Amino acid sequence: MENCTKCGNPKVIIKRKQSGQSLCKECFIENIQKKTIKTIKKENLIEKGDKVMVALSGGKDSVAVLDILHTLYERRIIDLCAVTIDEGIANYREEGVEIAKNHAKRLGIEHKVVSFQDSFGITLDEIMKNPNHRGSCTYCGVFRRWIINRAARDFGASKIATGHNLDDETQAILMNYLEGNIDNLTKIGAKTESKSKLFTPKIKPLREIPEKEVGLYSLVRDLEIHFAGCPYSQTSFRGEISEIIKNLSKDHPTIMYSTLRGFDKIKSAIKNQHSNEFEFDRCQKCGEPSSNELCRACTFLEELG
Amino acid sequence: MTFTLIFENKKEDKELIKDVTTIQDILEGLCLSSETIIAKKNGEIVIEDEIIENGDEIQLIQILYGG
Repeated sequence: MENCTKCGNPKVIIKRKQSGQSLCKECFIENIQKKTIKTIKKENLIEKGDKVMVALSGGKDSVAVLDILHTLYERRIIDLCAVTIDEGIANYREEGVEIAKNHAKRLGIEHKVVSFQDSFGITLDEIMKNPNHRGSCTYCGVFRRWIINRAARDFGASKIATGHNLDDETQAILMNYLEGNIDNLTKIGAKTESKSKLFTPKIKPLREIPEKEVGLYSLVRDLEIHFAGCPYSQTSFRGEISEIIKNLSKDHPTIMYSTLRGFDKIKSAIKNQHSNEFEFDRCQKCGEPSSNELCRACTFLEELG
Repeated sequence: MTFTLIFENKKEDKELIKDVTTIQDILEGLCLSSETIIAKKNGEIVIEDEIIENGDEIQLIQILYGG
């Protein structure tokens, strides 16, 4: 058996096919934390004095990003807070919400749970009973973004951190390219900013860490995690793309890294040619930023009646 | 020669058929990708090359999308 490439410890927990590197628990934890901080520095994601709000679901990705950002909080480089969204999915979301609360309490950071019920007067379970619904993920994405953006302003946060990992980013690049959705492609990146001051910049510190390594990090750090799949997740195009990439990665272990690197190189060219930054005004109903009279959340709520 | 397999809330005893069986063999037998699974042997995280021995307890943890 192989020993840890860095310290020689025989208890190896990962063998990276992409680099041939084998790591023990301690060296792996240090490596993931350093890689994440490197991404933060390289992409200029965080500045000293930032108040970072983590979108904390209680799943492995958001718990891991919270854990790593907390090291910056401890060193008084940033202030940290978190928001958890309760979509109203019976027998699923409750556990994640409790786990998120436990983490916030343990770390001593500001935290709030915001529900679809409180914000929109309807749960995702109720929406899905409507025969004319547009599909769970459509509502979930729009309503969550609405809540996250408002929560960031309420907290006075200067950045919103999400747990997007390398798999998520690679899937998004491929999906949008294959669908010819160039506008969406220009929005992918380590940092998403808008001209409108009503939107808080979003950052993805884990975008260069594969999903499996994020899961492994959460496990070896003994972090409490909600390890369950959403009951509404269905066979989606993203799922199909994910399967293709995972299969390709078996014989081409660097494929996700090269996809991301290649995209990052051409992104500015795409953005210059296809930038479609809307002029934002406020939604006439809820006051959130919108390029139309009504924002998408309010449009959906009107449809649902 | 048997080992205990814990996966998806089920615990069952399995026969070791080959002379040398690794975690990777178990994953292939269950049609699981090593990209989505983390394996523990007797409570400790191990890599796919790890050899399974008589009496070992193997736990497979599925890393799901989300969160």
